[in-house]
Amino acid sequence: MSAEKLTTLPEAAALVRDGDTVAIQNMATQAAPMALVRELIRQGRRELGVVCLVGGIPVDWLAAAGAINRLIGAAVSMEQFGLCQRYRKAVEAGAIRVEELSETALNARLGAGARNLPFLPTRGLIGTDLIDVNDNLVMLDDPFGGPSVVACKALVPDVALVHAHKADRFGNIGYEPTALWPDLGIMPKAATTVIVTAEEIVDSEVLRANPDRTVLPGFMVDAVVEAPFGAHPTSFFPRYGYDTAMHLEWIGATRDDDAVAAFMEKYVTGPSDHAAYLEAVGGAERKAALEAWEQT
Amino acid sequence: MSDWQSSPPADDWTIDELMIARLAACFADGDQACNGMASFVPVSAFWLARLTHAPNLVWLAGAVGLEPRPDRVPASTLEAPLWRDSIMYVEQFGDFWNFALNGRWLTKFCVGAAQLDRYGNGNNSVIGADYHNPRVRLPGTAGLGDMGSIGKALYYWNPNHNPRSLVERVDFISCAGYLGGGSERGDAGLDGGPELVITNLCVMDFHPETRHMQVASLHPGVTFEQVQEATGFELPAPEGKLPTTAIPTDEQVRLIRDVIDPDNMRRREFGG
Repeated sequence: MSAEKLTTLPEAAALVRDGDTVAIQNMATQAAPMALVRELIRQGRRELGVVCLVGGIPVDWLAAAGAINRLIGAAVSMEQFGLCQRYRKAVEAGAIRVEELSETALNARLGAGARNLPFLPTRGLIGTDLIDVNDNLVMLDDPFGGPSVVACKALVPDVALVHAHKADRFGNIGYEPTALWPDLGIMPKAATTVIVTAEEIVDSEVLRANPDRTVLPGFMVDAVVEAPFGAHPTSFFPRYGYDTAMHLEWIGATRDDDAVAAFMEKYVTGPSDHAAYLEAVGGAERKAALEAWEQT
Repeated sequence: MSDWQSSPPADDWTIDELMIARLAACFADGDQACNGMASFVPVSAFWLARLTHAPNLVWLAGAVGLEPRPDRVPASTLEAPLWRDSIMYVEQFGDFWNFALNGRWLTKFCVGAAQLDRYGNGNNSVIGADYHNPRVRLPGTAGLGDMGSIGKALYYWNPNHNPRSLVERVDFISCAGYLGGGSERGDAGLDGGPELVITNLCVMDFHPETRHMQVASLHPGVTFEQVQEATGFELPAPEGKLPTTAIPTDEQVRLIRDVIDPDNMRRREFGG
């Protein structure tokens, strides 16, 4: 008999403690576990570190809320919507310290963490200044006599936050046919605690029908929560596209502190739960529009 | 297959179309190409090459969707509308790099950088002297920090040629070019390196020995003096008359406007 992992958003988010290093699935405007990010902000979490491949709006909201003081990642950008302005300001003010890694270096740090190795090497970054400013990257002679490589120190995040299409109540996580995008492959395997939100909780029989689409086993997952549209306003292929209007509203708000506070109250700290959030952003009509992304 | 070979130079063309046609010419039939985010010029160039001289140019859209069939260039060059109808999804974070790090595939890479210096080093990290206390925090190196160091031929595109983007020395190297010039890149054990810089004013390449950036061709109507004025370091004086960059053909312009990018997404990169 497998252990029950199904819980609520507040209880799942409570597994994250102040000061934790939190790996967040995200690629610019895609696939971020936004319901969990909003809940962390609502609960007033502080001094978090964020690990991300390319962080977008979740990083900007966490920065706006004063919830993070360090970031480990390859880039922070909302692509067509531009730089994450609150994050950028916080970095420039010295409130967030950035460990910038190339994609292979981040993959190596997490891969070493997942495999209980002290480090993994990469050939990326050689010749750049990124090695010189980072104690977690060290040039290493090839013991077999080839060219030098960069040793990337193991990274074990305290928590990984992931969003998925389907999960059963025991924490087995299923993905619909899609690109495995972006960081599902390694972040949860490196992290000590794994929290997953899913578009829908399904019976285990549904996962058994397509075990090739099960991407994380229940024994690795600590908590699972049902959160339909849980990646909103980022996209979650193939179910829904990114919310252009909301990204633009956020970009507009980032120009002044009062507008940021009003935005956060309206969408993040104001709504009492995930269902209230979905109503605040436009309810069924908005969801239907985003589900029709293929027509855009 | 269009009649691109017999098409005359266009009378009606714009600078974005010229840059796309010039970049397309860098990709040969049988090459593999991939793109990252906000890459409208490279995406349009790959697509144009596939419709003209390089029908077998393999395209890995957004580094995720192989041989996609988008109906036009969408607002994002990472999101699903670009990689619809792919023949294979490549897992971006892990498996993509198994292809890119292997020396045999994806041997050319297009780079956009906030700063680019005279030796072809790129910066997307920070503006200012102190990395930990930057004057401006840029998005970050993403895949460039890898692509510059793993033997790729790098093609920089810059739609806004000015002294702030083309500088004597980048504030911070987040994409390795020829480092301090001369043999430094090779001495560091790195193969490949910057090949071309295609801007809205000219095409530049790198001197085979000094590895200093130099003008290879001027776009129609642009003078060397204008390029020098818009560049933050001294360019080597040209020996003799510089060639003029080829004007895109009627057929290339038609394909870009009507087939590839009818929504003019490519224009978003210009005028920044």
